[in-house]
Amino acid sequence: MHLTKDEEHIFDGERGWANQICMKILVRLGELFKAQKLIPIDSAHISGVSYKTLGDAPIEFLQALADAGGRTRVKATLNPQSLDPKYLLTRLPKAITNKQLTILKQFDKMGVTQSLTCTPYYLVKPEHSSHLAWAESSAVIYANSVLGACTNREGGPSALAAAIIGKTPDYGMHVSENRRPNISVNVETKLQDETEFGALGILLGRILADKIPVIQGLENASESDLKQLSAALGSTGMTNMFHLIQDSHQIKKEKLQKINVETQDIKRTIESLTTASTQKPDLIFIGCPHCSRNELAKIACLAQGKKIKPQAELWVCTSRHVKQQAAADVEKIEGSGGHVLTDVCTIVSWTEMLGIKTIMTNSAKTAHYAPTLSKAETILAPLTECLKTAFQG
Amino acid sequence: MQKLTLKGRTIVEGHCKGKALVSEKPLSFLGGVDPSDGKITEKNHDLCGKCIKNKILCFPHGHGSTVGSYVIYSLTKKGLAPKAIINQTADPVVVVGAIIADIPMIDQIDIKQIKTGDTIEVDACKGIAKILKDKKS
Repeated sequence: MHLTKDEEHIFDGERGWANQICMKILVRLGELFKAQKLIPIDSAHISGVSYKTLGDAPIEFLQALADAGGRTRVKATLNPQSLDPKYLLTRLPKAITNKQLTILKQFDKMGVTQSLTCTPYYLVKPEHSSHLAWAESSAVIYANSVLGACTNREGGPSALAAAIIGKTPDYGMHVSENRRPNISVNVETKLQDETEFGALGILLGRILADKIPVIQGLENASESDLKQLSAALGSTGMTNMFHLIQDSHQIKKEKLQKINVETQDIKRTIESLTTASTQKPDLIFIGCPHCSRNELAKIACLAQGKKIKPQAELWVCTSRHVKQQAAADVEKIEGSGGHVLTDVCTIVSWTEMLGIKTIMTNSAKTAHYAPTLSKAETILAPLTECLKTAFQG
Repeated sequence: MQKLTLKGRTIVEGHCKGKALVSEKPLSFLGGVDPSDGKITEKNHDLCGKCIKNKILCFPHGHGSTVGSYVIYSLTKKGLAPKAIINQTADPVVVVGAIIADIPMIDQIDIKQIKTGDTIEVDACKGIAKILKDKKS
């Protein structure tokens, strides 16, 4: 790999241990993936924040890096943590919440924005063709496919190293030849709601491995639908990007391998993601990935004048940033008895500690992970059905 | 006995000697190694129950969560880390872990040539692993 003089100095430790270790991570990873050079990035998004998924091991390293002067050089955002600063903070044991706080402090010291969201693109929308070092697979796929930015699927440590150096190795999704589709998917049925888009993602992730599909038949997709597709695709496969096409001409020219998805495939996938035998979930959860302003507005509209059933609990998860901008909608949802939580989601929190055994959600990603990561049974259904279950009458 | 020298690629520089612990299976450090005692806990793993402390740990490659890199660092801080890591094909999780924990590491080595209990000298600067004494001798 070719390094500039400045990069070499950092690699040799002339700017201290923190910068040296981060440069080493980027250079060695670059060599592993046959990158020729490092390229500047506009932003980094760092995963590995929740104490539930991290455990104790990373705390020492994050502390060492922060104490040795590791500071971010570009805009850097954080993935969700294991609790929100109000509701769950008081319901979880002190020993756990203190550890979570310690982790956040280290990131804060290094200059990482406490965004605590899996949708960093609602804070600052990356420019088309810009280079990023993002972890969090749902955001990676969304950035590459919907926003036209370029990012590999980073891990927590490599995204942090990129944030501190302000660069990333030039390979994979940063190279335009690697962004071309190499398989064609024809969705023969018109997908009806966000849950069906999620189911398509789960299904394709399993089939595609790391191939880049060009998908035909999603003309009606909204940004929320594509967010569900991205999140689900990242949960079951290594695909980092998809293309949408409305005109079948181009695919024929390129003679790509073809896959057809039928109504039955989507139906079966949704059925397989519902594991609960009960129709009375302990928790109804919306907000994986975190809700946008539009989604909050839609939920508020459906919640207005309604009341949550006595035995049920509704979580609507979003970022601090979006919640702040949607005060009126938040008031309506909370007025119905729902909780609008920031910073968190069920996957990275301790739902089992709260006695939650069945989760109903509109997110295929959550339904995919909940049985293993939350030890919960699942009911997967679109937003309208989730809210019908949550509200009385 | 003839000394066997295996040539691979430098991942993290360093030089050391120790006993080999060899696996045929990929290893996940998150959930697969107990950070409190350095024992492998991954179910159905051929090294399940074995301690990696001070060993020349040889396995094909890592898998699983990138949090695994931090586990390698944590093991080092507790004195439970392997002396060196030899992989068939290095993967990002183990590479980042070895860098931040400063554990000598090489890859592109045919680890089938190495048996558990062999005495190995690792010169990671040159990307070399020498089998000094095999288990039987």
